[in-house]
Amino acid sequence: MNPIAIDVKNLVKVYHKRGQPPVRALDGISFAVPRGQIFGLLGPNGAGKTTTLKILTTLLPATSGSAHILGFDVERQPFEVRKNICVVLQENAADLYLSLRDNLRTYGRFHGLDARETETRANHVTELFDLGEYRNQRLIDLSGGLKRRLQVAKVFMVDKQVVFLDEATTGMDAINKRTTIQAIKQEARKGRTIVLTTHILAEAEELCDSLVIVDRGRIAASGSVEDVKLIGFKFVHVTMMFRRLNPRTIAALRQFTPVSMETRNTSIEMTLKKESDVLKVLRAAKRDKNFVNFEVGGATLEDVFVELVRMPREESR
Amino acid sequence: MKAILAVMYREYKIRISSLTWLFYDLLMPFAYLLIFGIGFDRAFSTGIMLSGEFVTYNDFFLAGVLSMACFGIAINTSYGFFVDRDNGIFYEFLTYPMTRGQFLLGKITFNCATSLVQTLIAVLLGAWVLEIGIRWELLLFVLAAVVLGTSGWFFFLTIFALRIRRNDMFNTFINVAYFVLLFVSSLFYPIEPLPGWMQTVAYANPLTWHTDALRYFTIGLGDLSTIALELVGFVLFLLASFWLAVRSIQRLI
Repeated sequence: MNPIAIDVKNLVKVYHKRGQPPVRALDGISFAVPRGQIFGLLGPNGAGKTTTLKILTTLLPATSGSAHILGFDVERQPFEVRKNICVVLQENAADLYLSLRDNLRTYGRFHGLDARETETRANHVTELFDLGEYRNQRLIDLSGGLKRRLQVAKVFMVDKQVVFLDEATTGMDAINKRTTIQAIKQEARKGRTIVLTTHILAEAEELCDSLVIVDRGRIAASGSVEDVKLIGFKFVHVTMMFRRLNPRTIAALRQFTPVSMETRNTSIEMTLKKESDVLKVLRAAKRDKNFVNFEVGGATLEDVFVELVRMPREESR
Repeated sequence: MKAILAVMYREYKIRISSLTWLFYDLLMPFAYLLIFGIGFDRAFSTGIMLSGEFVTYNDFFLAGVLSMACFGIAINTSYGFFVDRDNGIFYEFLTYPMTRGQFLLGKITFNCATSLVQTLIAVLLGAWVLEIGIRWELLLFVLAAVVLGTSGWFFFLTIFALRIRRNDMFNTFINVAYFVLLFVSSLFYPIEPLPGWMQTVAYANPLTWHTDALRYFTIGLGDLSTIALELVGFVLFLLASFWLAVRSIQRLI
């Protein structure tokens, strides 16, 4: 058995629109995903993630390059590819005038389950995603979050080897997000390969075995989460607590040009490029009479991501 | 086969979610015949002179109603692509384990089944209530022509439903198509008394070919060699439309 679930080589996609210059959405990206991994496809808006996903799920032909799913060429063997994948697209996708249960039933039938099996699995995912009380309601009457939950629940009805989840947890509340993340982990343990695109980097950090960061159609970084975080090994993440925040302190801290800086109710989190800046930052913070304490840690995936997509193209190669 | 059945199952689920659709799908042709047909039948009480013989307007109009019903079902089904696109599910369908052709065939198989049921209702009630002189020995040909008509118009309209991105533009297209195809054909009235230019357009209209065939199979009116030619023309129209519809769905995104 081929140990590689997804193999992408020099994938290029150029969009041509009448009267407009061509747009190179993908500029020769390559990556491979071993079977049974949770793989993250990360990048800012317009980076090329959804285009990559559309090519891999046979929705869109590539301009050049190749992509194989479980050894099947997405261009030449799209039907074989579709037999082995299931997909949650970024847009909500549902039959709004059918009940939640009927949406699950039709999904099961489309993926070759018989009526009995469909019922059993529909019951299972309804329970798993806590959708029981809505089972007979039409989707048009449900909230956006519930529709999204159903959409994700659907893919857990079928045993496809490769699962694509495009921004799967968007619009979900914290509890459902947690349920979804647990379900994804559980499925990966069963040997399914899961490709995840997300804006929520903490989610990617928690879930992914390996990832690529795509920026402007090219790969800015790739490897395991720990490997990618090493790109920012010199970064230092600093958290400072205050009794109350002082705009003057915030302005003073900004002078250190951090990779990222976030203020919450009474705390400031910043990522610094140079370790030597830590003491200077501490001194600046302590000048504030409301200063309480100070914590220092390593860079997060988010810090690396922000730094990579902020770089000019030449530098990020 | 499983994929085609799955598409049919979904179509069925959607259809039974609304009583209005149920009425439209099953009784519309007979209702049309009952109201429009009777009105014209009374207005032209002498009947219509065709191929040297008089027929009542109801007799004449039955084929038109069946033809219009095929066209109507095709409009509704092709419009469904817009609803599916708005609901976002259309693109998800394209990632399901089925070919584009199976997707279209599943849709059309369900709609042909609906057409057959509404045809049987219209023909049986037409014969019983309106005393239309049906040629029962040709009933199977009527059903075959209905399947042919529903499929041909569905594939034809699907090409436009997939290529036109704007809902309002598609509505305009449908209104124009409906107006031209239905009124410049043999659906509501015979072609022979029409002005020359209108006759030319009507004879080139696939809806005329389909209606003429249905008229021959329902009440035996028309010339068999002309009908055979018109049927061949309609089959070619269907095949070309199917090919273009599959191409349109493949190039969709």
